[in-house]
Formats: sequence, C-alpha cells, structure tokens
Amino acid sequence: MEPIPQDLRLLRRAYWLIRLRWVAVAALSMAIFFASKVVGLALQCEVLYGIAGFLGIYNLLVYILLRYFGRSDDDEGDQFPIRSIKAIVNLQISVDLLTLTILMHFSGGIKNPFIVFFVFHMILSSILLSPKESYLQATFASVLIGLMAYLEQTTLHHYCLEGSIRLVSVSNDLTIFGITCENMYIMGVVAVMSCTFNLVVFITCSISTQLRKQEQGYWLANIELEQKDRIKDEYVSRVTHDIKGHLAAIQSSLDVVSKGMLGPLNERQSEFIGRAGERTRTLATFVRALLRLTRLRLSDSVDKQQFCLDETIRNCVEAARLKASDKTIELTSVVELSDSKVFGEQLSIEEMITNLVLNSVKYTPAGGKVEVVAKRDGDHVVITISDTGIGIPKKELPRVFDEFFRASNARATERDGTGLGLSLARQIVKRHEGKISVESEIGRGTTFTIELPLID
Amino acid sequence: MPQSRIVVVDDDPDIVEAVKVVLECNDFTVMTANNKEDGLALIRAEKPDLAVLDVMMTKWQDGFEMARELKKDSDFKDMPILMLTGVEDKTGLEFKSAAGDPDWLPVNGFLDKPVEPETLIAEVKKLLAK
Repeated sequence: MEPIPQDLRLLRRAYWLIRLRWVAVAALSMAIFFASKVVGLALQCEVLYGIAGFLGIYNLLVYILLRYFGRSDDDEGDQFPIRSIKAIVNLQISVDLLTLTILMHFSGGIKNPFIVFFVFHMILSSILLSPKESYLQATFASVLIGLMAYLEQTTLHHYCLEGSIRLVSVSNDLTIFGITCENMYIMGVVAVMSCTFNLVVFITCSISTQLRKQEQGYWLANIELEQKDRIKDEYVSRVTHDIKGHLAAIQSSLDVVSKGMLGPLNERQSEFIGRAGERTRTLATFVRALLRLTRLRLSDSVDKQQFCLDETIRNCVEAARLKASDKTIELTSVVELSDSKVFGEQLSIEEMITNLVLNSVKYTPAGGKVEVVAKRDGDHVVITISDTGIGIPKKELPRVFDEFFRASNARATERDGTGLGLSLARQIVKRHEGKISVESEIGRGTTFTIELPLID
Repeated sequence: MPQSRIVVVDDDPDIVEAVKVVLECNDFTVMTANNKEDGLALIRAEKPDLAVLDVMMTKWQDGFEMARELKKDSDFKDMPILMLTGVEDKTGLEFKSAAGDPDWLPVNGFLDKPVEPETLIAEVKKLLAK
C-alpha cells in the first residue's frame, strides 16, 4: 500500500516557512526604517538591521540544508529523510523564537506590542509539528520571554521604546506584596503570554489532528477504490479474453460456411450467415478495444523507445486515406516537427492518432475536410485533428473520454462504435504524460488536441 | 506437384476444424492435434511441409516451447512455422516485432486469430514458396 505522503507534505511546508521568513526579513527591515525615520522612535537601528541580516543569512542556510536533505525524495525514493526534515523544522522554529526574543529585547522588551508575534510562531509549530513538539516549543517561548523580562530587570540593559510615542510609565514607588507595580505588570504579561501560547497550541493542534485524520481517511478510501478498480479491470480482462477466444472460433466457423467451402449457399442462407458474421466482427472489435483498454490500465510498465513523430503521423494519415477518398473527404496534413523525438510506445501512439483520424472521417459528411497538424511548441509537440463533421453536443463534451460513452448524434449517425476509442486515447496520452482535449461545435466540426512531451 | 502437407495444432477443436476446412479447400493435406505432446509426435511421425501452431494451448506458452523445440531439431529446423494467436492482448507482448527472432520466437509467420481464410491461405503459400 502506498504510504500517505505526509513526509512530502512536511517538506513542502518547510519550504513554505522559508518563503514566509523572506517576507518577514523584508517586513522587519521596512518596520525598522518606518519606526526610526517616520515615527521617530529611538531604536538601536544597527543592531536591529543586524538581526534582519542574520535572519536572511540563516534563512538561506536553512534553504540549502533543506535542499540537501529533501532531494532523496526524487532520486532514490526509498527512504525519505523525514527525521532530518523534522529536525530542520524544529530547529527553524526554535531559532525563530530566539531571534524574535533578541529582537524584542533590543526594541522595548516585553512592552513592545510586536510581542504578540510569538503567537504566530505557536500556530506555525502546531501546524508543522507534532502536539508534543508544539508544547515543547510553547514552553521554550515562555521560558525565553520570562528570561528576557527577568534579565532586563536584573542584569541586562532595558532598551525603552522612546521617541515621539509617550509611554505611560508606572510609578516604581507603588508595591503590592513587596513587588513593584512595573514588575507585577511584567510578570502578568509573561504569565498571560505563556497561557496564550499553550492555548493556541492546544486549539491549533486539535484542528490539525482532526484535519490530518480526515485526510488520512480520504487517502485510504482512495487507495481502496483504486484497488477495487484494479480487481474490476482484472475481471473484465479475464472475461473479455475468454469471450475473444469464443468469438474467434465463431468467426472462423462462419467464414468457412460463408465462403462456400462446405458447399454452395442459397441467397437467404448467404444473407443470414453474412449478418451473423458482421455482428460477430462488431463484437470482436468491441472486445478487442475493451481488452486493450484494460491491459493499458492494468500494466504499470511501459515499453518506451525513442522515435520520430513525423513519419508516425504521416503513416496515420495514410492509413485513413482510402476511407477518406471513399467518402470524398479532403484529408490533409501539415507536419512541422523537424525530426523531433518522442519517448514512448510508438505502436500505441500510431494506433491512437490513426483512430482519431478515422473517427473524424467517420463522422464527417461526404465532401467535408479533415486536417491533421503537428507542430512543436517549446518542449512539447501539439497534434490537432480537426474535421468539418457533425460535431459533439456541448453538454456531452465533458463525457466524450468516458468509457462506453458515445455522443447522441454519433449514435444516430453510426450504429456501430465501441465507445472506447477516446477512452483508449486518453489512457495512452496519460501514459505518455501528455494531454488530450476536445473542442467542438455542433454541425461545424470537432478538433482534438494532443500534447506530448518531446526529447531534445 | 505433390500436395503440401500441413499439421495444425490448437487446443480449440473448433478453430482446428475451421482451419482444416480452409486448408483442405485449397488442396492441402491437413493433419491435426489438440496439444503440444500430440502435436510434436504427429509432426515427428508425418514430417509435414508446414506447421500451424497456436501460442497458448493447454499450458501458457506451449506453442512457443513447441516452436523452440522443433527449430532445435535438425530434421525440422527448416520447416516453416506459422503461429496463430489471440494472446497478444492479454500479455501485452508485441509478437509481430519478435517473430523471426530465432532465440525468442522462432517462427516464420504470425497471424492474429480469427484469421480470414484468404489471409491464411496467402500466408501459407508464401511460407511454402520460400
């Protein structure tokens, strides 16, 4: 069973944290400039800019570290370094908290209103880390704030936010239980902040855990559905293969009779044997398409090789030439690929394009036009097959690639059709990491566009 | 010109019968078998001019093994083998591109089942003329 890619999700979020920090570096620099030059606060600008610079350098280092540890996801794919990534994210949050504390110390300490930014870090850690790690980070943040407040009151210098803002100073003469009011205020802030951190972590972790569980549920349900789909495909493949064997025997027996090898037939006998033969052939075509589709869906390995598309597309057009001229349909092609190469299953791609061209011929009235154009577009080749045919009703367009679906007007025009041709095309394009789309206008025509990646 | 003799081996008796009629109508002498062991015994006893084999008989790849065994035998290495199959869709193997590879698939011709009588006759005549 495929594991839930929570490791990959963590890596993505770790990069997101780095992007967020770039914004923080820019915002901090601007805030320092604004506060000192515009508002006129007496700030320790050199130190504060220094902290912003440190944040930038440290962010770059974390980015390099993450690139180094996160790369094995693409290359080896076996053992994802989840522990290293987790350690890096934990380290980032801790260093962020430390940096924020230093920043607060040099810009007013606990009285700096930006102290609420600690709360954002708690939210971030609750989203990115496990509940246990988040509570540890909350405790670390509380200790940092408490330590800063304590040291500023005892040994460290306290940098007041002074300038154009008039701060209300609390008289140091008043005491409650022998503690000055200012110290009381500081202790209160530390206690409230500590409670807030833990509460934020609790709320965010609860929501995150719930979401993670939900996501895991969806993921498992999806895997189960995929497995069931596979079982269905295996079943269809086995049944259709058996049917195909019987059909081959019926067809061979009918051929022997219809070709008069067991004696001459009268007109009515010949007519009815002919009808049986025709229906058997239709059924065999359907069964073959169904087998091909289930085989493509079931097999993971693709027998790919490099090949030039130019000739392949010309072959496809030539394969439909006779049917087009029978219906007096003008079939043209413009192939401008200058030997561009595709890496894929040549037979599948040839079969798919031929089928699409034959489809266009089939649903284009006599005297109409079918055009195949193949051009290079950057590292892709774009193949369009357009016709002046009956078109597809607009509301049916989203379903044309569905298995067994046939447009209502297609059914009215041609009784025979498996409803599997376009599903096969979609499956083949998907296996080649390409795209297929359709545009159509009823009565004016249809254009199928296929995009396939090229090799340089 | 003496009639060419052909051995047809397939586990589906209806296919064997139909192929037999088609070949007999075109003046070939046809002998049939329904599995690998009988088929090999028949070929060794009758020394036909051509063998028509099914890829998948009672066991998976019986036809392949039979072809490999015959091509190793000095008496039969020049006898053309025509392989009929409806197996391509099941395995995903592209037999056509491998037909003629002396190690992997030592057969001289390859046709998808059901085979149109005209196609079968044309292929048989082509292989016998070589």
